[in-house]
Amino acid sequence: MLIKRRLVLSGSAAGAVSLATGLSAPAIAQSEPIKIGYLPALTGPSSSTGVGINRGVQLGVEEINNKGGVNGRKLELISRDTQSDPTKAVNAVAELTQRQKVAMIFGPVNSGEALAATPLIARDKVPMLHPCWVDELIDVKKYPMAFRIAPTNTQIGGGANHYVVDVLKLKKIAVVSDTTGYGTASVNTYVPMLKAKGAEVVYQNHVDAANPDLKPELLRMQSAGAQVIMPWSVNAGFLSRICNTRGAMGWDVPIVGQTTLGSGQTKALLEKPEYWNKVYSNNFRQVCYVNGKLLPKAAEYVERLKKAKVEFSDTLLWWVALGWDSVMMMAETFKTAGTKAEDVVGYMNKVKGWPGIYGTVTWTPEQHNGFPDSEVVMCEVNSLKDGAFNIAPGYSS
Amino acid sequence: MFQSIVSYGLAVGAVYALIGITYNVMFSASRVFSFTAGMLGMLGGVLGALFINTLGMNAVLAFVLVLACGAALGIVTEILTVRPVLKSVEQHLYVLSTLAFALMIQQVVAIEYGTEAYPFPVLIPIDADSIWGVVDQKFWLPVLACAVTIAGLEFLYRKTLIGRAFLAIAEDSYAARALGLPETRLRMASFALAGVIGALAGFTGAQMLLAFIGNQAILNFYGFVPVALGGMGSNRGAVIGGLALGLFQQAANFLVGGIFAAVAVFAVFIVVLLLRPEGLAGAATARRV
Repeated sequence: MLIKRRLVLSGSAAGAVSLATGLSAPAIAQSEPIKIGYLPALTGPSSSTGVGINRGVQLGVEEINNKGGVNGRKLELISRDTQSDPTKAVNAVAELTQRQKVAMIFGPVNSGEALAATPLIARDKVPMLHPCWVDELIDVKKYPMAFRIAPTNTQIGGGANHYVVDVLKLKKIAVVSDTTGYGTASVNTYVPMLKAKGAEVVYQNHVDAANPDLKPELLRMQSAGAQVIMPWSVNAGFLSRICNTRGAMGWDVPIVGQTTLGSGQTKALLEKPEYWNKVYSNNFRQVCYVNGKLLPKAAEYVERLKKAKVEFSDTLLWWVALGWDSVMMMAETFKTAGTKAEDVVGYMNKVKGWPGIYGTVTWTPEQHNGFPDSEVVMCEVNSLKDGAFNIAPGYSS
Repeated sequence: MFQSIVSYGLAVGAVYALIGITYNVMFSASRVFSFTAGMLGMLGGVLGALFINTLGMNAVLAFVLVLACGAALGIVTEILTVRPVLKSVEQHLYVLSTLAFALMIQQVVAIEYGTEAYPFPVLIPIDADSIWGVVDQKFWLPVLACAVTIAGLEFLYRKTLIGRAFLAIAEDSYAARALGLPETRLRMASFALAGVIGALAGFTGAQMLLAFIGNQAILNFYGFVPVALGGMGSNRGAVIGGLALGLFQQAANFLVGGIFAAVAVFAVFIVVLLLRPEGLAGAATARRV
């Protein structure tokens, strides 16, 4: 018998049809893995955060899958490294939402990429979980399926302002930033917040971060009677120069500000280690040492990290915890509400007081920023041990 | 305050002056205004920190190696970005070719080294709290480098044959070639020399400016100001212009502060150029008719 190509093709097509109809669709759906789109920046200039978060994410997924997954379905991370590049993040979004049909997206983990990717994820109607701080990323009208599991920039500034005005009881404040968009926007947002709290902003300026000598600015702050310096910048060079100049002047005022103040890069640029004393940066209450000890939940988590041999001596506990919390939050959502986008959003809209390691999360249909103000605290930057810091002095424990 | 204006002003000014001289040395040999000067300055600091801090090299060896890298980059600049466009200097294509080359190198540094600022080691430690704090390495090293460079260049151009050959091609390259001077090789030597001076500026100024990729744009910009102030091709003008710029910038930091300091610097720059377009030390060139 002569076997013709057309015959073979039609035969195999018929076979495929019978195979497909032989299995019921729900049976496949019940056993196939739940796809989670994941957009970390694992390489590129802003990748240290992504690398830290990634360790928590990988551990979380591994733990859940080892226990049999979510309702018998494994979690499958579809991970795309954005390389700290918004263009790559945007391309990855198209693949995740349209080709991979993921149930939910976690990330991007950097603000620049998140600003570019969020409108596209919202357009494709895929629920998303944000770890970034930029306020504009959450808007229940524009992006009704986006939720934030971290604080906003306003909360970060508010936390610093609260520490200075309410905890340290200082009223005369110098606020300085570099000339970047982040720096100027922060000063313009946080200064009115300080004034509303009754503080007196005796010095306010934007300074070129490349300026090698900040003594003129610090002398101006000093002569204006400032009792504290609040710098807003992510430039380690600029921040270390403020610490160095304050130290060289022998001026004993606290420096209170953003997390970069406590970074290894800032530390490397200090002229003397003691110039890092009385410097307080943003951190989070649940992952700080209080009286030398972590909270029981965080301590137990650190033990688990050590047991799983997750490296966190070169990263920060709150980054790892944030990644882990996010996976747990998604898994719990899928377990209770399934993977349909509307059901996921419906469930997340009602999350109340969810106890994460990194923070306690509460969402409502009107408010998708889930992090509580009270858990944004300041820490002593020179107290880093096992990825965590001492809570700054003055807080009631 | 006065002490801080003088120490920082002179030190930053010396770095600007050296970058200005780098522009000049390249310009006088080729009539090309090569925008690789800031890149050389940035690399001087970055490579110095890399060799000493990361690779643990001896400071003297690292210094020599940094200067050698500067010279090599100068030669590559000449071959890749200047020689091909020299036929049509009037079209200013060199602006694109040299700037593109500088940006490429900057990107490579960003990928391989990172975009953060890194510390530069203290080579000769002095207690900053003592009376000698004023003459900290970060202040005197760039000033010394500037003084040595200008003295060396004066000697080279006035007392040596090769220096006179540089001047000859700077004055009239066609006539110099007609007299049998190897124009291409001399131009390459000039670019190598400029590479050494640029790297020297970066290396000596790095404790103050840090080993930072962002210094490229700043040095390109502020290094150009002394050239424009002092007159193109005039090294003495560049030194005076550079030191004046550093002192004025630092005084403006004290007197007005913040972003207005930069505004003040450029306001004065524009006024000077309006009053003396040929620069403070430059001679007005008569137009041939």
